[in-house]
Amino acid sequence: MLPDARWFQLLRQFTVRDLRQRWLGSFSGGLWALLQPLAMLAIYAVVFVEILKARLPERVGSEFVPFLVCALWPWTAFAEALNRAVNVFPEHAGLLSKVPLPREVLVLAPVCSAFLVHGIGFAAVLVVLALVGQPLHPAGIPQALAGFLLLFAFATGLALALASLQVFVRDLGQTLGQFLTLWFFLSPVFYAPEMLPPALAPWFALNPMAGFLDAIRAPLLGLPATGVETLLMPLLFAAAALAAGRWIFRRLERHLEDFL
Amino acid sequence: MSPPVLATMRGVSKAFPRVARNTERLRALGALLAGRPQVAAATVLSDIDLEVVRGESLGIIGRNGAGKSTLLKLLTGVLAPTTGRIETHGSVAALLELGAGFHPEFTGSENIAMAGALLGFGPGELAARRDEILSFADIGRYIDEPVKHYSSGMVVRLGFALVAARRPDLLITDEVLAVGDEAFQRKCIRWMEDYLAGGGTLLLVSHSMYHVQKLCRHAVWIDGGRIAARGDVHEVTQAYLAFQEERIAADRGAAPAAPTTQEFRVAAMEINGESGEGAVSMQHGGALRLRIRVESAAGRVPTLAVGLVRADGTPVYGVTSEMDGARAEPDGEGAFRFTLTFDALPLLPGSYCVRAHSQDPEAMRHFDTFERVLLVRGRTRELGLVHVPHRWGGDAP
Repeated sequence: MLPDARWFQLLRQFTVRDLRQRWLGSFSGGLWALLQPLAMLAIYAVVFVEILKARLPERVGSEFVPFLVCALWPWTAFAEALNRAVNVFPEHAGLLSKVPLPREVLVLAPVCSAFLVHGIGFAAVLVVLALVGQPLHPAGIPQALAGFLLLFAFATGLALALASLQVFVRDLGQTLGQFLTLWFFLSPVFYAPEMLPPALAPWFALNPMAGFLDAIRAPLLGLPATGVETLLMPLLFAAAALAAGRWIFRRLERHLEDFL
Repeated sequence: MSPPVLATMRGVSKAFPRVARNTERLRALGALLAGRPQVAAATVLSDIDLEVVRGESLGIIGRNGAGKSTLLKLLTGVLAPTTGRIETHGSVAALLELGAGFHPEFTGSENIAMAGALLGFGPGELAARRDEILSFADIGRYIDEPVKHYSSGMVVRLGFALVAARRPDLLITDEVLAVGDEAFQRKCIRWMEDYLAGGGTLLLVSHSMYHVQKLCRHAVWIDGGRIAARGDVHEVTQAYLAFQEERIAADRGAAPAAPTTQEFRVAAMEINGESGEGAVSMQHGGALRLRIRVESAAGRVPTLAVGLVRADGTPVYGVTSEMDGARAEPDGEGAFRFTLTFDALPLLPGSYCVRAHSQDPEAMRHFDTFERVLLVRGRTRELGLVHVPHRWGGDAP
């Protein structure tokens, strides 16, 4: 089944609906989407730099706040995409049982909206960082964008698998949140991989998120190891996740309605 | 030009898997991922073959739980068949529930955008049809209110208006005419007639035989997950109604326990020359001739009562030989013969029962009862039990 005009039209509608549902009834509406990340940035700057005096080792080559920001926003987009996508089928059970539609659209919509919202927030935060004189590397933007899109593909693959498995294993929705928190601290968001004890380093390389976050962060900050080869592992992980997610989804999607 | 066959089902069965326990869900998941058949709990449809050609209007009838809605869900792709193959061609729109897909928090306009996308409207197309949709839905200023403030009638009108604007090749509807007020029903029926006249194809599930007969040329009767009958809409709906009536009568235990005595025994009843005890069918408006043989133990001349009742036991007409002063003819073997003719039987199509009761010479007591099933066939859409002669227009005869 190839996506046709109706497919894209539906994806757009469900994404817009997902975005609207977040801010439905809030006075500030879309403005909040921009204000919230900037408020977060201010809080991180105060808590980590002013209060905790967080510093990265010299060899990492970056200030703490830009270092954190360049991984935290992509991570937030990723985690929120999965957390929201995992429950889409029970949430849309009424629709699924009455209206024929391409079911993958329901999974893709929250992934798209999470990456849109946090992608825009990310951009806004980077602009503010540049304005206050943090050393960012505009030349690294295309490569970081490529990393961000690969992360989107990775999230899409996982979301397809998780959402369809959740219909059979109901606890997946609750467990996923805890698992993502654990994964968050195992991923180099608050720290650099270089700061780990050397014994742990090989294990650490198994975490796909290390590669994704690095591929986005390093080119933006002009860190060492910014070659295009940093995109290789993310590319492989994204392709594997997409292939596996698609396979699981294809196997299960026609039968979801029986189990909802 | 798209192919003449819009939908095909070949050997389609649907069984719902066991899903109550977690282990059952896990086992089902394993089976699906491994591509093995699942353990089925309840078979809802078995071995359905169906073909819908362009321009067809097909009614699907049957009791609650017979599998009608499951059939439509399979056809629209909402459900996957357990076995068999389903193909559809051309644009298919399904109204399995009017207003399905509407989100209560969003306004009518926003829901139109979503429902339009679900129906396959392009954004430009939807904008061009917006006025048409709004005028059909007739909900006025409510269009910018959240749908949760709508009455159910308004939701239904908006849902139907969208489908009406879409004009799909094949329209699949499930009991949609049962909701909404009468004015809306009339509007829908008018639209569907118009749609059919313009070459549209309709698949209609309804409990209203009136709607089915009005809109459909053919019908399929589904019972217990199988096709019980298919063909001309009048034949199928009549067979279905007769079955329903018999079932209701059987539930009531309505078969009257006649006092059986051999004094006056009804030995045989011949209907239009057919002897035996089986059902007899005839055309609406045709002649009905009954020949009934009554044995009299004591040689006294019996009288006879004849009743026509509907299959559910509702009496339609009764008459006795004593009322009309008709005499039995002795057949020379101690038995007597009655012949009764209705030249143009006005019973409307359906299933009836002809009852003959033997009575004593004074017509005071019933002795024995003999009954046979009479199926009246015909294509009329008149309502009720009998045709009442009438004419239209104000001129005196």
